[in-house]
Amino acid sequence: MSLTVALSKGKLLGGAAALFGRAGLPFPEDEGRRLVMDTGDLRFLFVKDMDVPTYVEYGVADCGIAGRDVVMESGSDVYEPLDLAFGRCRLAVARPKGRGLDYRRASTVRVASKYPRVATAHFLERGVSAEVVKLAGSVELAAVLGLADCIVDVVETGRTLEENGLEVVEDVAASSARLVVNRASYHARREEVGRFVDALRRVIPS
Amino acid sequence: MSALQRSPVPPGVQCFVGAAARQRRAIEAAAVSVFEGWDYEEIIPPLYDYADAFASAALSGKTYSFVGRDGSLLALRPDFTSLIAKIAAGRLADRPAPLRLYYSGEVLRYEPPKAGRQSELYQMGLEHLGGDARAADVEVLAIAVECLERLGVGGAVLALGHVGVFAGLVARTELTSSSLERLRERVDARDAAGVAFALDGAGVTGAVRDAVLHLTSLGGDASVLGEARRAFAAFPAAIAALEELRETVGALQSAGLGRVVSVDLAEVRGLDYYTGLVFRAYAPDLGFELGAGGRYDTLLARFGRPMPAVGFMLGLDRVALLLERQARALGDGAAAAAAESIATARLGPALVEARARRASGRRVRFGEGDRA
Repeated sequence: MSLTVALSKGKLLGGAAALFGRAGLPFPEDEGRRLVMDTGDLRFLFVKDMDVPTYVEYGVADCGIAGRDVVMESGSDVYEPLDLAFGRCRLAVARPKGRGLDYRRASTVRVASKYPRVATAHFLERGVSAEVVKLAGSVELAAVLGLADCIVDVVETGRTLEENGLEVVEDVAASSARLVVNRASYHARREEVGRFVDALRRVIPS
Repeated sequence: MSALQRSPVPPGVQCFVGAAARQRRAIEAAAVSVFEGWDYEEIIPPLYDYADAFASAALSGKTYSFVGRDGSLLALRPDFTSLIAKIAAGRLADRPAPLRLYYSGEVLRYEPPKAGRQSELYQMGLEHLGGDARAADVEVLAIAVECLERLGVGGAVLALGHVGVFAGLVARTELTSSSLERLRERVDARDAAGVAFALDGAGVTGAVRDAVLHLTSLGGDASVLGEARRAFAAFPAAIAALEELRETVGALQSAGLGRVVSVDLAEVRGLDYYTGLVFRAYAPDLGFELGAGGRYDTLLARFGRPMPAVGFMLGLDRVALLLERQARALGDGAAAAAAESIATARLGPALVEARARRASGRRVRFGEGDRA
């Protein structure tokens, strides 16, 4: 039985293809609209990025590639044996330029984010009660138009923030692509999973 | 009646009918026969107790608690182990150790239903309280293996660890409890990058840093114990833990159980609770563990009868799901045999006939037929 790997067609796909190529592992060439691709040695599932940890946690996929940001937000109980060293970005708190962020002045901070779980935990750890507004995209707009006091979002180059008059006021977490592995597969199919993990580990740039 | 008109069901509760219920009873009977075979006595503890009986970090916020008429705070049992420890120290205080007790029943936890985890869980397990700790560890593992064999679980693996290894490595670091928990959580996730980040954040350097980083990759067969002994030579407490684990694994190997166990030193759950051996049972075809166990030598002192203890439990819900996926059925076909119909045109004679067939052990279905 071959291992099943969950991937998303989002921004991590190119890095994953390059990594598998260097490791000499099969990778689906043109995935088209098919959601399951069998290459013989590995079976690939294409799902939404936020769903990769879920497929792996339930064991539908043995392994998957997901950003650390997505793994944190999913709260899935999965193993993360490899930092794949691509797709680097950070999660940060941002708000309109020049306004800073002063928790002590407000009794509640209203935060807009695609990462409600991460955002809630971040403010809770600082003893701040946060009202988190979950958005599906264009999160910057929420801070610009006053839907929220600040946002928690992914920052890569910072250009989008800049163009919308926002600035980072606080880091939440660094993120990069991770190999996530189902806990039962890791133990009950240790040899196969071990070979796969080692093949990738050898070709991660240090 | 349309679906919308039906009575709503709260999330997380379970209900089983007919064949599904029969399969669960068969699973329970198989596990219980193994427990009895190793001379464990059944204990049927109360469904609820004072909430403080269940006070533990792992269960905090997960118990269904309520206020009794006298104003005391009560809770529905979220696990069996703490209840059994309390009973062993209380009404069984006169019984000499070791005590061997098993249970089978529901526990209730306030958890969002996900990943094979409902609010109502059915656990089958046992506790070995007091006695020789090394022998007890081996005994409990042997029982766990035999349960999985008896249930016909294909490809099962017990992943063994010892929390004393991790605890021994960080013993002299003076980490705050929150940085220790962050570190433990990353070790448990086998996340070397995350472990490095947590160590750096807590200012841990040198030999301790190298050793803890090494921990995430120390999983596999028994040979990792040798590797760990060499790597952790500077940490006597970790070495003592490794020695315990080596003895346990050695005993299982001599009984031919080496292929069912693996060693994983990154298995570091519940440091406030477990004190030695920890293990989890896994099988292919089920994404989460079937059961888990470990040594908890400090729990009984909380109830006033300090003694070492080890236990394990299997989740019946997960075993049932796995057997369904592996297309294995337990139990006797006879229970599902077709019933014999008793025509009830005349009720008195029909009842006489039905009772006669029942007396000879047949399965009857009363009231079928042509009553005018």
